[in-house]
Amino acid sequence: MREAYIAGVAMTDIGWHEEDPHDMGARVCAAALRDAGLTPSRVEGLISTPHGYMTGARKMITQRMAGYLGMECGLMLEIDSGGNSSSVAVHIARDRIRQGGINSCLVFAAQRETPPKEIRGDVVGHFHLIKDANSLYDSYQAAYGVISPLPFYAMAIQRYMHLYGITPEDIARVAVLLREHALKHPQAAYKEPLTLGEVLESKILTPPIHRHESSEMHDGAAALVVVSGELVKDEGRAVRIAAIREAHDATSFIPYRGEISRFPCVGRAARGALDESGYSIADVDVAEVYGAFAGMEPMMYEELGFFAPGEAPAAIEEGRTTHGGEVLINPSGGRLSLGHPAYVTPLLEFVEVVRQLRGEAGERQRLGASVGLVHTEQGFINGSIVAILDRLKGQDAGAR
Amino acid sequence: MDTRPYMQDRAAEEFFSRLERGSFQTTRCLACGETHYPPRIVCPACLGEDMEWVDLPREGTLVAFTQQSDAIRCRRPDVLGLVELEGIGNVITRIDAPFEELRIGIQVAFATWTSPDGVALHQFRPLE
Repeated sequence: MREAYIAGVAMTDIGWHEEDPHDMGARVCAAALRDAGLTPSRVEGLISTPHGYMTGARKMITQRMAGYLGMECGLMLEIDSGGNSSSVAVHIARDRIRQGGINSCLVFAAQRETPPKEIRGDVVGHFHLIKDANSLYDSYQAAYGVISPLPFYAMAIQRYMHLYGITPEDIARVAVLLREHALKHPQAAYKEPLTLGEVLESKILTPPIHRHESSEMHDGAAALVVVSGELVKDEGRAVRIAAIREAHDATSFIPYRGEISRFPCVGRAARGALDESGYSIADVDVAEVYGAFAGMEPMMYEELGFFAPGEAPAAIEEGRTTHGGEVLINPSGGRLSLGHPAYVTPLLEFVEVVRQLRGEAGERQRLGASVGLVHTEQGFINGSIVAILDRLKGQDAGAR
Repeated sequence: MDTRPYMQDRAAEEFFSRLERGSFQTTRCLACGETHYPPRIVCPACLGEDMEWVDLPREGTLVAFTQQSDAIRCRRPDVLGLVELEGIGNVITRIDAPFEELRIGIQVAFATWTSPDGVALHQFRPLE
């Protein structure tokens, strides 16, 4: 079967934007195509996602972009699969290219949420959005007024800490490290350093989660150009999607059976992707992991197979997941400090790993990175996608 | 401003209407005998559609607990928890006790609770 490559990437700065998501999307689509050396007339597939969770619905986003940029496509989709949406898009793009149906696919996501301050300032006027957020959860969860997954993550983190003797300092340290990573990223939402004391003294939102341990909702956009080998213009910069695997558990938010601090879908997706790629977890040089809370990061590192259960916090403290460690995890700053426009987040993770494998990650570059991993999730980690990326054969370390 | 939650399925409507009358029940499949939680109108085990309503255990073990900051109801100081009912699974519920006094693993018992906005729900409180 033929291979699929990521030939172009682009992202906006992450933060709170006034710009309409359509315009953010158009800018990243254009920038990703320029990066790939392609014109809109060469785009054969176009896939996107909704513009946010608290926005009211805008439909036919993908079609609008096809018309706006002049793309005559053989594949057009708008995907809503929660946090996985834009990585499902990459998965489909890769499969369709490998099957030979299309030679190129542009994947983009652009998010602009209704600012939380605006909602708090006029709760009555925005109550339809709050009820929509509540109805994301089934009737038994929604009845208790849940409007965000925070309480579910809080209880998972509480159990993880209880089962393995993990301390509040262990969790806070993750937020500090991700901020250190983000300070090397010029497009990250957060620009100020963060200390352990500041994290531990920040308000407890939903115990045991402190404010600085919870990702905020951000705006932004990103795009990837996925192509077959014949459309790779610059072999030195194309990154191969060596494998991608999707796995879901039979749950929706809080599982009604089993241990709530374990997420079996993550391991299934990781093992499947690694097997398909022929690499082992020890081969991974750089990884972007979808942990929207500081306490979830070590759990995800363990589920992916980087560390044994309960051992990730010590590994993080020993510097094994940062620059100079055995694997560089979330060099972008992760969801906590790069910022978290949820529908865009998987693409931001791909952008970072592609930049790392190309040797274009600037100050946060892992020298000689040749194998990368992207992990994304939906719901309360009820489903995961893991992708393994590598450089084209024959590419040398170059500037790395 | 109607703060009551949307009931998203028929079995849930029935569950909460039984709860309003003090019953804490779920469905059991008449064809294969499988008990479900949450209740279903179709059986995931045999795909049958004929159900009876059976009592759930009224005592369980506290698995985890927290307090919501933003929520339509059950905000701090209220406690939200997960209670394991033997042979059934995990039930998400309000916990009727101060957060600071709770520990993972304690035994808790069922009670009904009507929220300030008039929603009939269940809660669990620590056994003395």
